[in-house]
Amino acid sequence: MNHADVEEQQIVDRYVRGTLPAEEAARFEEHYLSCPECLDRLDLAESMKRGFQRAAGQDVARVTAARQLAVVAWLARLGRSRQAAVLAMALLVAVLLPWGLAVRRIAERDRELATTRAALEQERSTASSRGTAEAERLRSELQASQRDLAREREQLAQSRQPQGNVPILFLNTERGGASAGGPTVRLRLPSSPGWIVLALEIDPPHQPSYQVVLRDAGGREVWRGGGLRIDEREALSLTLPSSLLAPGDYTLAVEGLAPGRQPVAAGRFAFRVLPAV
Amino acid sequence: MVALLGKSPERAFIPVRPVRGATSAMRTDAGFEPGEAQVATDLVRRIAAGDAAAEAALVERYSRGLLYLLRRQGVSPELADDLHQETFRIVLERLRRRALDDPAGLAGFLRGTAHNLAVAEHRKTARRRTDANPEGLEHAVHAGPGQLQTVLLDEEANIVRRLIGELPTARDQQLLMRFYVAEEEKETICSDLGLDSLHFNRVLFRARNRFKELLERFQAGASP
Repeated sequence: MNHADVEEQQIVDRYVRGTLPAEEAARFEEHYLSCPECLDRLDLAESMKRGFQRAAGQDVARVTAARQLAVVAWLARLGRSRQAAVLAMALLVAVLLPWGLAVRRIAERDRELATTRAALEQERSTASSRGTAEAERLRSELQASQRDLAREREQLAQSRQPQGNVPILFLNTERGGASAGGPTVRLRLPSSPGWIVLALEIDPPHQPSYQVVLRDAGGREVWRGGGLRIDEREALSLTLPSSLLAPGDYTLAVEGLAPGRQPVAAGRFAFRVLPAV
Repeated sequence: MVALLGKSPERAFIPVRPVRGATSAMRTDAGFEPGEAQVATDLVRRIAAGDAAAEAALVERYSRGLLYLLRRQGVSPELADDLHQETFRIVLERLRRRALDDPAGLAGFLRGTAHNLAVAEHRKTARRRTDANPEGLEHAVHAGPGQLQTVLLDEEANIVRRLIGELPTARDQQLLMRFYVAEEEKETICSDLGLDSLHFNRVLFRARNRFKELLERFQAGASP
């Protein structure tokens, strides 16, 4: 810190005004403790600041007093009736002006309130109509679900009942490839959904278990099942729901499964499904 | 209390007597701190060696600055006098027992001691009872400036008016009013008035010199 910096950076004035950063102020304080020149500058700066502020304060007070005196003098020059009129006017202004402002403010508040209310009302009605449509949609979905559930319950109940007239299809292995006129074994679908029993006659040698793949005429796999075992009549039996089969030609490929060996083809069965009457 | 150029009505200005030719180093504008460090080191060493003259020199060298510092801390003039004495007592006792680890930091040590005393005094005042005594309040009188002080304050204001009247341009008048009355920053004023820093410094420098000159003339006329 040197006096050129002190002058250039207005350190004295800033210190007197209290705007010097704390660290810089501490350094300056350590400096001026033994610097009469800076102490003189500080005294001068304080004196100047005080003088300016006092002069400004006095000037403001003088102007205010002059204005008040001018008003009083003007009032004194008026006649009594005019003085009364001026006072009445002043009173009116003093009372009416705040009242007018208050009324205006209240009117503005009322307008704002009305706008807010209208917006709120509109929002409420929009939300209400949106809610109604949504509730309607949910209600119809619920009704559809209930209908599906009832139908499935009915089907389940039916499946649990003893059933008569169950179609049974006895199938023999196709030999020498598929016949030209299509499968000779035919099955007519029942008029109401139910079960269909297929009995597949398997030629020896028999395997411990078998798996079956049911395909439609296009070769698309319709169903696949495993773990089938040969019965005492050397046949495999399957029970299928009639809903699995649509009218058309089907083939059943059977493979024998033995542990540690590749699956062995055990027969191919074809049948035609006819529509219900 | 109003003090004009460091000379309060009750307190005479104490001329500073430099210690062991340190003046030249202090007075140069290109850095006086090495001089201050040398002087401080010398004073600390001599006081530790029991040199009473060095103690007097220390008091003389730092007295005015320390008093100013204490008044800046917001303590009353009477209390500032007490704390000023107390600061020197503490510092001298400490220096007599053992020299400072960094003798060049003597000014910092003095400043720190004075600052701590002022803070302790503020705390003590804050702890005092603050409940009002209605009887005492009835007799309380606002301690405004005395007659002499009012005269001095008014004279400062008159000098300012005269100073402003002497300024060559309205812009310079505005500059000083904004700086001293509105307490705006230099950068803001320069930016608003389209001035450069150099012009600002020049106006302030001339105004300060003129103010000092007028004030000294007033003091010379006022003194018997």
